[in-house]
Amino acid sequence: MGSILFQNVDKVFGPASSGVKALDNINLEIAEKEFVAIVGPSGCGKTTCLRMVAGFEAPSAGVISVSGKRVTEPGPDRAVVFQQFALFPWKTVRENIELGLRNKNLPAGERNTLVESALKLMNLETHADAFPHQLSGGMQQRVAIARAYVLDPDVLLMDEPFGALDAQTRVVMQEELVRLARVNPRTVLFITHAVEEAVYLADRVAIMTRRPGRIKEILDVRSIRQAENWDRFQKIEDVMDLESFVHLRTHIWKSLREEKGSQSI
Amino acid sequence: MIGRRGWIGLGTVAALIALWFLLTTVTGIVSGARFPSPAEFWLSLRQIWGRGYAGGQLMSHALHSLKLVAMGFAVAIATGIPLGLWMGWNRKAEAAINPVFLVIRPIPPLAWIPLAILWLGLGDSAKIMVIWFSAFVPSVINTFAGVRNIDRPMIEAARMLGTPRWRMVREVIAPAASPLIFTGLRLSLQASWTTLVAAELVGALVGVGFVLNMAQQDLYPGMILVGMVTVGLLGWATTALLGMVERRALSWNMAARD
Repeated sequence: MGSILFQNVDKVFGPASSGVKALDNINLEIAEKEFVAIVGPSGCGKTTCLRMVAGFEAPSAGVISVSGKRVTEPGPDRAVVFQQFALFPWKTVRENIELGLRNKNLPAGERNTLVESALKLMNLETHADAFPHQLSGGMQQRVAIARAYVLDPDVLLMDEPFGALDAQTRVVMQEELVRLARVNPRTVLFITHAVEEAVYLADRVAIMTRRPGRIKEILDVRSIRQAENWDRFQKIEDVMDLESFVHLRTHIWKSLREEKGSQSI
Repeated sequence: MIGRRGWIGLGTVAALIALWFLLTTVTGIVSGARFPSPAEFWLSLRQIWGRGYAGGQLMSHALHSLKLVAMGFAVAIATGIPLGLWMGWNRKAEAAINPVFLVIRPIPPLAWIPLAILWLGLGDSAKIMVIWFSAFVPSVINTFAGVRNIDRPMIEAARMLGTPRWRMVREVIAPAASPLIFTGLRLSLQASWTTLVAAELVGALVGVGFVLNMAQQDLYPGMILVGMVTVGLLGWATTALLGMVERRALSWNMAARD
């Protein structure tokens, strides 16, 4: 349960003959409970990869499957955290988190227990009855993460989830996500253009080329993290000072630079 | 209770009444045959309030008009909002219905009055039908636009959460579109009053428009003004009521509107 598989996936936007090829022969396997980040130049189709796993878009060729099942439509087994939060502003925090559970037709008692634990997990207990507009951006994204976690999904799909947050909040949320990954590990597909974020969070980082996007390189961060024992630090800035971290980050930077450099602009 | 803005507004009204008094009564620049003085207005008001005019007292005329507007408006939003939601949600429904709208929309609602009277006579049902037609269009169009303007991630979030179709309409689509739906309702309400008065002017035996029509035939400027003021007050009161409902329903949206 919880693996993601891209097999020879192409994506063309517009008519097949004259359309724009966004993705070219993507092959990627994400194991259960593995955290994979995709980085790439803007417009490379990394978000499209996530949207196809979510079932919002269909591949033009190839197959995407989650837990061995071919993806055909959106569903609560693949919870999405959006860059713009996408909360329901007319629902309270509690109601936002509860909607997915109501859709599963769980009895009220069970729903309450699950919502309470999700609120607690994301430190939202005191804001349960607030409306989204009363919360800061970081708080809103906590609600969105709680709404995704409470579904107990096979995989968690995060589309530049911290891209709309300010730098400080962003760091707090990154640390929070690492904490979550330890408490409650999930299969995660994480899209970002922030290189440090990818290296800090992911077990593996996939680097994409510019459009039409292909996977250029996959870096195994986990083996380095374990060998260098990054987890002995609580704070992201301490990890970011390590030579092994800097080395990885620079490698990815250079790889992305090449992609930008080969663009005509 | 009354804020700074309220006092300024009251001041404007008071100034206009003073100007009215000045032009008609003090200086006599405007003759009573063209526009009534405050005293004539007061006499007309007392007449229709007590003894009655055009077959009834002011209250019965006003309540009758109010009833027709309420019924026409209710039918219009009960049909218009669902149709707008459906068109916004379903591309095929939009493709099928929109061309009909493009033809019907430019016809002024008042142009339906002759047909309505031909079909249903001078009674209430003809007026309700015309109000329905006139109030229906803004409801549909704004609801439709409201659905089309919903942020795509919000819909995608609801689909990702496995929201079934009916709950999607009730708890996601309709609330997300509600700011524009209420804009449509305000326009619909306005259209309802405009159309009602016009319909009563053309053919009616009771109602505020009928009072206006009789007063015109009787060359009675004081009563004309009473009729106009009554329509104005009724329109204002119903709009204010709708505004209260809107503020309650959209309380979650207050931050977005600031």
